[in-house]
Amino acid sequence: MATDHNQGRRGHFHRGRRGPDRRGPERRQGPPPQEQAARSERGDRVDVEQIMREIRSRIAQRTGVELSNQQIQELAARRLEAILDPRGLKPELLEQLRRSAGERTIAVDAAAPPASQSFPFDEATLYDSPNGLLRFIRRLLRPLLRMFFNPTPIAHALAQQSRMNTELAARELERDRRQAEWNALHYEILQRLAVEVSRASVDAQNLSLRVESLAAKLDFNERRVRTMEGTQVQTRSPRPPETGPTTQTVAAGAAPNETTPHQPPAAEGQSGDAPRRRRRRRRGRRGPLTGAPPEAGMSGPSTPINDVAPDIDEGDADTDEGFDDEVKAERVEHQEEVAASPSSSPAPEPAPEPVRAEDTSTHVPEE
Amino acid sequence: MKLAIVVQRYGAEINGGAELHARYIAEHLARHAEVRVLTTCARDYLTWRNEYPPGTDSVNGIAVERFQVEHERTDADFGLRSDHVFFRRHSLNDELEWLDSEGPATPSLVARLRRAATAFDHVLIFCARYYHAYYGARAVPERAVLVPTAERDPALGLAMFGPIFRGVRAIMYNSYEEQALIRAAASNAHVPGVVVGVGSDIPASIDPARARAKFALEGPYVVYVGRIDANKGCKELFEVFMSYVAERNDPPTLALIGNAVMELPNHPLIRHLGFLGDQDKFDVIAGAAALVMPSYYESLSMVALEAWALGTPVVANARCDVLLGQCLRSNAGLYYANAAEFGAVLDTVLDEPDVAARLGRNGRQFYEQNYSWPVIERKYLEMFALLSSAPPRHRMEKLPGWFRRRQRSLRPAAQVVDELPSGPVVESGGGPEDSAPEGAVA
Repeated sequence: MATDHNQGRRGHFHRGRRGPDRRGPERRQGPPPQEQAARSERGDRVDVEQIMREIRSRIAQRTGVELSNQQIQELAARRLEAILDPRGLKPELLEQLRRSAGERTIAVDAAAPPASQSFPFDEATLYDSPNGLLRFIRRLLRPLLRMFFNPTPIAHALAQQSRMNTELAARELERDRRQAEWNALHYEILQRLAVEVSRASVDAQNLSLRVESLAAKLDFNERRVRTMEGTQVQTRSPRPPETGPTTQTVAAGAAPNETTPHQPPAAEGQSGDAPRRRRRRRRGRRGPLTGAPPEAGMSGPSTPINDVAPDIDEGDADTDEGFDDEVKAERVEHQEEVAASPSSSPAPEPAPEPVRAEDTSTHVPEE
Repeated sequence: MKLAIVVQRYGAEINGGAELHARYIAEHLARHAEVRVLTTCARDYLTWRNEYPPGTDSVNGIAVERFQVEHERTDADFGLRSDHVFFRRHSLNDELEWLDSEGPATPSLVARLRRAATAFDHVLIFCARYYHAYYGARAVPERAVLVPTAERDPALGLAMFGPIFRGVRAIMYNSYEEQALIRAAASNAHVPGVVVGVGSDIPASIDPARARAKFALEGPYVVYVGRIDANKGCKELFEVFMSYVAERNDPPTLALIGNAVMELPNHPLIRHLGFLGDQDKFDVIAGAAALVMPSYYESLSMVALEAWALGTPVVANARCDVLLGQCLRSNAGLYYANAAEFGAVLDTVLDEPDVAARLGRNGRQFYEQNYSWPVIERKYLEMFALLSSAPPRHRMEKLPGWFRRRQRSLRPAAQVVDELPSGPVVESGGGPEDSAPEGAVA
């Protein structure tokens, strides 16, 4: 019921709205054929967890290093250990900082002042006693005592001292509590920073991989553009009469050896020709466009521009397949060309002298 | 056997999840018992405005009694009270006031239940979080069979619901995850409970081609069915979908079915088909490559079950415990936790037709084993038989006294819910072919 929508789907890439050259190296690809085959072998059973594992590993492969939150936490813990190097700090301080968050409440409770420190003190306290009789006698003798000296300022001073003690203890307690909170906060911030730094470094690593991959791709695309420009110039340049019948092949198949009279026929030079061609194409990217008369590209009237379009299209469609795919495509292209060459070139020419690398520009007008 | 079904809204045109659930259950149990529905006059769940006339009515042959809602819900008041009880230390009285503010406040319905308690053998009460369920369960605890339809939202952490979950006669859960959540929140393992869920009424003739022609759906498409709301995860769905189609050569269309309460992105591959009738809805689902469920919170996704019934795979949000658990137990759905996974999962469903077909087959089997109507009806009837065979062994806890209700001793509900265990419940590692049907009366 739900499968008919997959009929008629395009099996290869086509130019979408964004164009093939914008798909980038992370273009989605279907699951590898071996995975599909493995699933088919399992018959009618399907394990969702297994599929999800495969999907996640595929994503991880595509995006490079991909760590779970747990792994990032572990990485961050190791980084934190490195930051809090015990050789550079007092081990007790380090331990205190580490435990401050968890043991904050206990530390504060332990630092609470004893009850005796907060004992209230006033004038009556001087005469107070747990013994009732003693308390009574002291009260009787209090006027007599007052005849000898005035105890009120003493009691007042002691009461004030007691109050100050209580306040100081409370202040100390509050200071300890704040310090513990700050310690916990600092440790938490440090921990989070370490986690973020770890995450950022993993991201940076991923991005550098992507940049590398994109740079390689850009480099390769530049080479292709130059090669295609060179091919276009070749097709427009005047040809000797004997190469006339092969012009169509050149245009369609982009076989530069047939446009240059010094190249050996494909049937004879099959083994050595492909590397040479590749070498020539790679040279194109290194240097500026030199060696050919500038008017060659502008004044070649013989081949219409449309004749080279298939070559450009084909190359374009392959652009995103990556360098390896491109090289493979090039080989296939070359082999097809070689296979077709006997019919297209009825009279094989004698093998030319080997072309030296420094002379290539004179034979292959890439500019 | 006489059954009462108590639900906040009821009507053929009301398509809310719990309300539709209640209607389906009422209509199917009516074949085995005399069913009477007690509900409110409200049609809109946001205001509870009285729109139906009070009194007796009949919907699809089921007798319905409607009671007026005493006052409408005020957004501002409800928001303030929610903020207070969810995120601050509060009292039981605050929670009761929150419940009154949430509504639908229908003391007349509760009074009717209390008066006629003995007239019914069992009272099925839907949606634990509403006024009618709380006071209804307290009115007839020895007959109350609760269908909580609870999800992982802060309301579940309110202390007032604990006695309800511990005091009703039985609970019909929608999923194992809901059962685990409520048991963790309320410690109610002693209350008989069974994971039931609900079936669906699938039309006899399904024709995806008809939907394709009617809605001009070309090429592969995935479908979302439900209220198009940011709270349902739709905003995130649009983001991941747009990032997916930007990278894919032959991207699918995202078809949306349901009322939109948020702004839809202007994208040629996002098609809003509007609110559809059942036939069209099922046709579209049947023709889809997958049903996408981006919701974070669900007690049971009826539309996911419907998709499985039609053999369509489900692509669910992995952060929703219930959906994830169902995907794992059924082996019929894939899940995503981020944009990359969303893309890869859709790629799998679109590019591997054999896997999609097997997921669909598993889904159909899972539905038939667990959510087909004979199974659902049997579970309800077994539960009723169990309850009828023995007197209740537990009682509803009484409300505390005036002073205790006003003590600000209760923790913020959101904090309580955060501390509850989470994650899917995977009963067995195998697919439906070697797993026991979901739920058994316990």
